This record gives sequence, structure tokens and C-alpha cells, in this order.
Amino acid sequence: MIKFTLNGRTVETDAPATARLLDLLRDEFELIGTKEGCGEGECGACSVFVNNLLQNSCLIPIGSIAGADIQTIEGIIETEQFKILDESYSIAGGVQCGYCIPGMIMASAALLSKNPHPSEDEIREGISGNLCRCTGYNMIVEAINLAAKKGDGLW
Amino acid sequence: MVEKITAYRFERLDETLSQLNREDCAIIAGGTDVMVLHKSRRGVPPKIPKPIVFINHLSELKQVYQHHKDLHIGACCTYSELLENPLIPFALKNAIKTIAAPAIRNRGTLGGNICNASPAGDMLPLLYVYNAKLLLRSVNGNRMVTISDFIQGPRRVQRFHNEIVTEIILPSVLEDSHVVFEKVGNRNADSIAKVSFAGSIRISKDRIDDIRFAFGAVGPTIVRSVDIEKKLVGKTIPLDGADIAAIGSAFDKIIRPIDDQRSTAAYRKTVALHLLRYFLSMKQYQPN
Amino acid sequence: MNLKNISTSVPKKDHKGKVSGQLPYISDVKVENMVYGVLYRSPIAYGKIISIQLPTLPEGYEAVGAEHIPGPNYVKIIKEDQPIFANEWVNYIGEPILMLTGKDLDILYSLLNEVKVEFEEHQAIYTLDEAIKQKSVSSVLANYEFGESLENISAIEQGAHQIIEEEYDTGYQEHVYLEPQGMLAVYKDDEIIVQGSMQCLYYIKNALLSALACGDDEVRVVQSPTGGGFGGKEDYPSMMACHVAVAARAVKKSVMLVFDRSEDMLVTTKRHPAKLKYRTALDKEGNILSMCVDIFLDGGANVGLSSVVLQRALINSAGVYKIPHFHAKGYVLKTNTVPNGAFRGFGAPQSFAGIESHIGHLSKLAKIDPLEYKRKYLVKQGDPTITKGKFRDPILVEEMIEDVLNVSEYKKKKEDFQRLNQQNQRYKKGIGTSLFLHGCGFTGSGERDHIKATVKLVKSKDDQVSLKISNSDMGQGILTTLCKIVAKELDLPFEDILYPYPDTKEVPDSGPTVASRTTMIVGKLLERAAKKLKNQWQTGVEQEIVEHYVHREMIPWDEKTFTGDAYPAYSWGVNIVEVEVDTLTGNIKLEKVYGNYEVGKVIDERIMKGQIDGGLAQGLAYGYLEKMTSKQGRIQQKSISDYGPPTSLDVVSIESKVFDNPYADGPYGAKGAGELTLIGGAPAVQAAIEDALQTSFQQIPITPEVIIESLWMKEGEEG
Ligand SMILES: Cc1cc2nc3c(=O)[nH]c(=O)nc-3n(C[C@H](O)[C@H](O)[C@H](O)COP(=O)(O)OP(=O)(O)OC[C@H]3O[C@@H](n4cnc5c(N)ncnc54)[C@H](O)[C@@H]3O)c2cc1C
Ligand code: FES
Ligand code: FES
Repeated sequence: MIKFTLNGRTVETDAPATARLLDLLRDEFELIGTKEGCGEGECGACSVFVNNLLQNSCLIPIGSIAGADIQTIEGIIETEQFKILDESYSIAGGVQCGYCIPGMIMASAALLSKNPHPSEDEIREGISGNLCRCTGYNMIVEAINLAAKKGDGLW
Repeated sequence: MVEKITAYRFERLDETLSQLNREDCAIIAGGTDVMVLHKSRRGVPPKIPKPIVFINHLSELKQVYQHHKDLHIGACCTYSELLENPLIPFALKNAIKTIAAPAIRNRGTLGGNICNASPAGDMLPLLYVYNAKLLLRSVNGNRMVTISDFIQGPRRVQRFHNEIVTEIILPSVLEDSHVVFEKVGNRNADSIAKVSFAGSIRISKDRIDDIRFAFGAVGPTIVRSVDIEKKLVGKTIPLDGADIAAIGSAFDKIIRPIDDQRSTAAYRKTVALHLLRYFLSMKQYQPN
Repeated sequence: MNLKNISTSVPKKDHKGKVSGQLPYISDVKVENMVYGVLYRSPIAYGKIISIQLPTLPEGYEAVGAEHIPGPNYVKIIKEDQPIFANEWVNYIGEPILMLTGKDLDILYSLLNEVKVEFEEHQAIYTLDEAIKQKSVSSVLANYEFGESLENISAIEQGAHQIIEEEYDTGYQEHVYLEPQGMLAVYKDDEIIVQGSMQCLYYIKNALLSALACGDDEVRVVQSPTGGGFGGKEDYPSMMACHVAVAARAVKKSVMLVFDRSEDMLVTTKRHPAKLKYRTALDKEGNILSMCVDIFLDGGANVGLSSVVLQRALINSAGVYKIPHFHAKGYVLKTNTVPNGAFRGFGAPQSFAGIESHIGHLSKLAKIDPLEYKRKYLVKQGDPTITKGKFRDPILVEEMIEDVLNVSEYKKKKEDFQRLNQQNQRYKKGIGTSLFLHGCGFTGSGERDHIKATVKLVKSKDDQVSLKISNSDMGQGILTTLCKIVAKELDLPFEDILYPYPDTKEVPDSGPTVASRTTMIVGKLLERAAKKLKNQWQTGVEQEIVEHYVHREMIPWDEKTFTGDAYPAYSWGVNIVEVEVDTLTGNIKLEKVYGNYEVGKVIDERIMKGQIDGGLAQGLAYGYLEKMTSKQGRIQQKSISDYGPPTSLDVVSIESKVFDNPYADGPYGAKGAGELTLIGGAPAVQAAIEDALQTSFQQIPITPEVIIESLWMKEGEEG
């Protein structure tokens, strides 16, 4: 039995230690905001926070997260930070097909909480593990820049 | 088909070592190599043929400290942790920044990169240049090996199944040397090296005092030749064309890359030699 | 919000669900009594199936194959050459032979490993070059020829000062839509509902009617939110739909088929690799006297949509130029490789890369700046097209060029770069341009003869208006743009217009979501329907308006002679790209990108910008970054990073502008925009790299490997 915190709640599972956190989140906890785009750490669609650090849930065997604090997009939807990101992505037009977006939002939040006033290069670096095939990234970069300004003091 | 999976996650290193002594296990640090290597198709956990031992939570493996002139780096330090650590040399940080992307750098570990022993491992060329040593620990005690002895081939390392790499030791961190790392990948993030080059040079009074270079992804292991390096010691800077050509052709003979889905042997070899010559042709070198 | 100016951006309809991740894509869906399907695929490139041996299947696990298909065993697209489940011959590695279904994927995968199929292997054709060499009747899947007679051309060539021949190769391009393909058949006693990631609901429905040999009311196709398409979900989903629907019928359960990324990369359609041959006669000053173009497309193992792709490639083979005495022919050739299909641009990107390259090289011979040389040949309003159609509408390309020259300081940069390049041995800068167009809508009379689009607007009792059309939003934003058109016409708040995910039970066939036709054609029909509704508006009463396609008066298209107006309208573009090339590694860094476009009228500025940025990222990468190869019939790159689509660190911000030039037959003057933006990327990158290195290339992608080979290895510099 593996126990950890998921979006603020203590949860446990008897899935095998090698099960991918991604599958556990989607299948057992029905958190569909964490998406699978590659299953190999190469697209970022499955990004979550592990102890506040951005990580790819497709590469995490759940045996390694006993006691950890896991947050998914569902866990941050209610936060002020998410609201700012939501609005900024809308204004900047950063969302097309949407499949990369929950992961992008997680990467954006991770970046801003570490670096509340990132430069353009730092933004590009911050989302460089999150593949987006629709937007060519620029409007996402703009969205993050906007969120940094709008959310000044929040991060 | 619920297979029984045995996995261990001990609170302490000594317990972990005892278990490893009892049973041959698959060690998982960050898992960023293991999970991909053993990946199943969508929706199914990876198939790992041995019992598993998780180690990346062990605080004993996460220390970074200076001891005499040597820098000791805990094997389970993640890339992100190393980037934030003031003791880590600038050149190594530059190499770390070329690895993957932030989320992977939050999980992947230095020890994992070494033990995975991929010829394209981006930490390896510099570690060869630094003459890095590895501290291996088992219930029987400690053992020290140089990185070049430890790594034997792709995914082949000289580790007994009861051992864990606990520290990477960089002897006297080349303080007054000019150190470079160049990675050539297919794009600017999340790319595996097609060729990489690390070099260091120390000059005293316009003469080369110490010089080293290592190439990644051009052979089964990192290519370094102390014999070739020695030929340059004592030469004055800037090097003349004939010396550079001689070194180039010496490496030309020992670099034997392959064609694969990422690049061609011809490209790898040509670029490796370009980077070497470029390094040797610099007009001046600044310690960094 | 009531819309004053149609171009002003509004919040996207689907924003909330996407940003929160709670909008369910097909892989997020679970239904009762659902099993998974996994496919057994051919491990060989060409051969005959001798026998199939299945392992003993545990209870609840079943095998589904050709014998379970109620109708004929092919995926209905254009020709009947693509089996649903191969049962006699296999023609490529990865061709589906049978499906195993059951609850647990782990068990399914291990059962799959135990399936034993015996083949009689035959000699396969692996490459386009081999296919060209052996070109036989059976390997030509489609061909066309048109233009000036070859006798006339050879007379001109005889009097020419010089004849230039060039051969140009383009590679695969993989869509890498971020959501892998997925399809679910929901089983009911009297109906199969197929839902999934798709662009073309009625393509799928028609394929299912054929495969299941059933009545119209026994199948239903519903689009799920679609995580990117780019053409990759145009034809391929029909096959997956047949798989899940046949299986659902056979096992009487709902069947889900979702691809792993590597499976998706290995077996789904890609952009056709192409070889283009140019033969051009020049006079003393380097002016073009005549030109012949031959195009060869690697069709892969089945024809699929390849004949239509070839048509577009041919129609665009002269680029945006009026070339005197032009002749072209083209072939789709069969190889035993994964079938190629639709990809944003649909044959045009290959042609534009080729012709822009060729004209660029001719300009060097004439010692004229490439852009100046190109401008001499630019088509003008009223000019004939190469298929004897006519460019009817005003063409703004000259103004677009002037503008982008100023904005980018093109001339100054050219000089600066030359100076800088002399000083810097390692890094060289270059600047390049591309000029391009895109024919909007289906080729020729496709809209009138094949598609016959119909749209419906439904008003409920409480005066809510819903769009009933079969078009998919796959990220390009039509949920928003089409609602805007209707809202503005009805003078209603945009928020009050609904556009539910389409379901063939509810919506008429308004055609597939392809060919940059949706805004222009479907949008126009909706505009007309909305006008009608407004005139007949009765508050509190249910109303329904249906509109049918009306063809623009044009010179009729004749596919046999390949003459007539190929498209009702054209969108236009100009790109300028600056790069820096590392001559030691061959790596290319994009420095600046500019784009000027003319798409009639922009329906939503932000959405248009999204199309520009996203399309250009793909188009630029097609020119230098994305590389896919096939070896002995097997795709070599099966992971995203091995293939290498751009990350955020590989693209730069793009300075773009869109010119107004309303088109009478488009809604508010809008034409197509989705594909256009991809087309100029690769040729502009090539031109910039050539400018930096002062050399010529005959292929894309121009990878570092290609650059290093051209710079160093050919000179025998290395031992
Ligand atoms: C998307 C992606 C991008 C990547 N990009 C790069 C890149 O750019 N450059 C690069 O070099 N690598 C890259 N990698 C590979 C990988 O992230 C690194 O090699 C990383 O350092 C591995 O560390 P880990 O802790 O995750 O290793 P793990 O996967 O946990 O382990 C790797 C191997 O080492 C063994 N091992 C680990 N720690 C120890 C120890 N202390 N003692 C004994 N054995 C041990 C394990 O048993 C296993 O065999 C990438 C991986 C992914 C998924
Ligand atoms: S699914 Fe985890 S990174 Fe792509
Ligand atoms: S919006 Fe489609 S992948 Fe990013």
C-alpha cells in the first residue's frame, strides 16, 4: 500500500510500485487533466508537481512517491495563480487544440513560482519540455509574460 | 495478469545496502532512464525484470561538499539541485543546462547518468575531463574507481550487484583552467547528443601546462586519450597549424562513430574533429 | 458581447474546458462494458499471408479479423485498395491484420506477442528512387500531365542560351498532433456510435456504412475534442473507426483503440516524400523561356488521398509565377512503406519548396537578387493560371513584399550579413524569402460534385441558435470563428450562439474539415443561413434553416485534361527568415521571422495569429529540423525527440501582418488561412541558409548533416 498526498488529500493505493503515476492519476483517481502525449518524458503533457517541483508523471513509478505531495492541474484550479494564468492564456490566445495546455499551465506555474519576473528566454526555457504542436509557442510565451505582470506579488 | 512486483524503499542507506547484498535488484534513482528503457505500451507499467530498490530519497546520497581540494557530489543529486549549488563548477552547470528540460532535470540524477552509461550521456565528457572518481559502497565497505574504468560500454558498468554509487568525486576542480562543453543535438531542448565535446586547458606563461579532451556519442564509451593529450603539454599558445593537424589526425584514427536514427557516422566524426580543432585554435584561454 | 468588427478577437468558446484540462478527449472517456482493442500488425513489408495462429484466448478476450467485416474489406476513401484487416497480402510494415479485444491492456499486449502469422515474403520496394527506377504500370497509383506541348517546348529549348536541370528532394513530415489517434465504438443493439479524434465525420460515416453494410441509422459518428489534426486525422481515422466498429459488432461490447506515441509515429500517414525535377530554358540574361516540371510522390502502400495530393502539388508547381511555356507531369508511386496522406498544405509545401528553390537558383545564374528576380515573374490579377484558369481577384503580393522589405530592413541586412560573415569564421548569417499562395477549398469542382455541403442552423424555442455542421474544431478555432459569423449576422451576442461537438445524427454533411475550406465555404453557407434566419426570425418559435453549396462561376475544371479553374480563390503570403549557421556543426539558429499574409478578411485576429505562428513553426521545421527516414520499410524515428519537432527554444517570435482584401464569396470576405501559413516556411529557411553559406541545396530538410556534407566532406577536407 502506497500512501501520498494528492491535491491536498491523503490517499493510498495498492497499485504496483512500478505503475506510472500518470496511469494512477487518470485511471484510479479519474483526474483527466493530466494527459499522455508520449509516455517517455518528451512532451510534458503529463506534468504534475511532486513536492512543488515540476515533473513528468509518465516517468514516475508510484513506489518512489510514498509520502510525497502530488499536485495535478485539478489541485490548482481554485488558486489565484491559476485564475491569472487562465485569463492570460485567454487574452494572449495561447490555447488551440488544448492537449498540451494543462501541462503548459503546470510548467508556467512552476516557472513563475520560482522566477516571478522571467525574461523571454527564461520563459522559453521554462516550457522547453512541454511540446506544443499547434501554437508555435509565441502566444504561450506572451501569456506567461502577461501572467507575470498581472500576478505581480502573487507568485 | 497481476504479476507480483517486489519493491523496496528504505529510509536509510545501510538498510538499502543490506537488501542489495541479499538480492540482485534494479536500482531506480530518478527513473528517467529506467522507465523509458523498460517502457511498456500505453497504459501498462514498465516491465522491470528484477526486484526494485528506490534510492533517490536517501539523504545520504544527496550531499555536496568540499573535502581538501576535492568536490564530492552525492549520486542522487538531481540536475536542478546541482544547478542551484554554489560549489558546482560553472562549466558543469553549463553542461547540465543542455540536458533535457526542467521537469526531467527535477528528477534525473548525476549518478543515474553515469550508471546508465550511455555514450550520449551529457555529464560524461566533462567528468572524464575532470578525472572524476566514483565512490561505490556495499556492506563490505567502500571502493573507489575512476569513471573511465567504471564505464565499460553502452549500459555496461563495473558495479557489483551489492554496490551503490554514492558519490562522484572531482579531484581539484581545474580551477585555473579554461573548460568548455559543446553539445550538438538536433534541437535546443529535449535532445540527445549527436556529438559532444569537452575540453580543458591550463596555461602557464604561454605554455600548455595541462590539456584534456573527451568526446561523447562517437563510440561505445566516451573517447579520451591521455597519450594524445601529452603531446601538447609544453607547447606554446597559440598552437601552430601542424600541431593542431597532428592532434586531429590522431583522433581521426580512434573516433569510430556509427549511423543511427539520429545522425550519421560521417557527420559525427567530422563535427567531433571540428570542435577539437576549434578548441585548439583559440587565440587565448581564460580560466573559468 | 455584440460584435462590431468581425476581426476583433473574442474569448474562445472552448477555452475554459481546455485550460483546466477537464474537457474530455477520447482517451479520457470510459463507457460501460468497454474493452480495449490492440492491433496485430504486419512485421514485413510485402508478402502473402499463409496462416494465422492465435494463442488460446482467456475468457473475455477475442480476436477480430477480416472474417468479421460484414461489408467489403476495404476502408472507403477514394479507391478500394486499403484493407481494413489485411487477410491476403500485406503491403507495409505495420499494416493491421487483426485486432485482439479485452479488458486488460497488459494481457492484450502479451497475447499479441503470441500471435503467429506465417508469410511468404516478396521483394518489396522501399524507396521512391527504387519506385521511379522500376516505374511500371502497377506501381503508378495516379498520374497527370498538362501544359504546353512538349514539341513546342523542345523548339524553345533549341533556341535557348542555356538549359538548367535540377532535381530536388523533400522528406517525410510527421504531424505529431499532441493527442495521439484514438477511436471508440460504443456498442448498442441497434446502433454503433463511433467517437474520437477526427477531422472528417462523414468520411468516417461513409466508411462505416460500407464496412458494416448497414443502414444509415445504424451508425453514428461523434467528434471528440481533437488534440490537433494537421491532416493527420483526415483520412487515417476512417481506418481506426472501421477497426473499432467491426470489433464492437463482433464482440458486442464497446471497443476503445488509442495509440501509443510510437505506434502513432510508425503506422499513421505522413507527408509524402517527393522528388521534383525541373528543366528550364534560359536566354542570355537569365530570363526564363520555358519550364518543365516532373513531380514524383511516394504514395506508400495504398493510394489513399494521394491522387488529390498530387493534383495540388501539380497545380502549385509554378509557384506564384507566370512562367512562359510551362509543362508539368506527376506521378504517385507505390512503395512498400506506410501510406502517406494529408498534411497541412496537401502537396503544396513540396511544390513550393521545389519551385522557390529552383527560381532562387536561377536568380543566382542571372546575378539578380532572388526577390527581384521572383518579382519579375509574379502573377497579376487577370493572368491565366497554369491550368488555363484565371486569377480573378486583386493580388496584393507586391504591396506585401514592399512592406516586409521595409519592416525587415532586408537590403541593409543583406549587406550587413555579408560584412559580418567575412569577419566571423564560425557563424554565418543569412536572409531568405519565399512567396507563396494557397488555393482555398477543394481542388476543381470537388465542392460542387463530391462534397455538396449543407449547413443547418437551428433555433430553439428560447431563441438559442445552434450550428449544425459536420466540421471539427481540432484547435484551429472554428468553434469560435464560425459562431462569430453567425452571431454578427444575427446581431446576437457571440455567447448566445452554440456549436456543440458534431454528431452525424444531428448534423448534415457540411463536408470534411480540410483544404482550408471551413471558414470560406462552410462559413459562407452559415452566413447565408443566418441572414435567412434573421429575415424569418420569430421569437419563441423553433426554426430551422438549411443552406446548400452554390458554386462560384468559374472556368469548369476538367480533371482529365487538367484544365480550368482549380480553385475559386487564393490566399497569399510572403516570408522573410534570418538564420545563423554554425559552420562547424551545421546547426541552424532561427534569428528573425517575418510574414505578410492576405486571406481576404480575418475573422478573428488572435486566431489568425495562432495559425500564422503555429503554421510557420511547422513550415520552418519542415525545412531544416524535422527529419524522418525509412529503412527497409521501417520508420526509423519512433519517438518525438528522435524526430525533433521544434521546442519553445527552437522558435522565435514572428512579426506578421495580415492584409485586407475581401473576397466576395467568403463570409465577410474571408478566404482560407490554415494551410497557407505553413507553406512559406521551408523555402524561406532554405534561401536564408543558402545566403549564409553562399551555396545551393537540392533538398529539404537541410539538416546539419546535409550542411556539413556540403561544406566539408565533399571537398575531401577530412581524411
Ligand atoms: C525526455 C528525456 C530527455 C533526456 N535528455 C537527456 C539529455 O539531454 N542528456 C542526458 O545525458 N541524458 C538525458 N536523458 C537521460 C536521463 O535523464 C539521464 O541519464 C539521467 O541523469 C538519469 O538519471 P536517473 O536518476 O533518472 O536514472 P535512473 O533511470 O534512475 O537510473 C539509470 C541507471 O543507473 C542506475 N543507477 C542510478 N543511480 C545509481 C546509483 N547511485 N548507483 C548505482 N546505480 C545507479 C540504475 O539502476 C539505472 O540502470 C533524458 C531522459 C529523458 C526521459
Ligand atoms: S506523456 Fe509524459 S512527458 Fe509526454
Ligand atoms: S495547443 Fe495543441 S498542442 Fe498545444
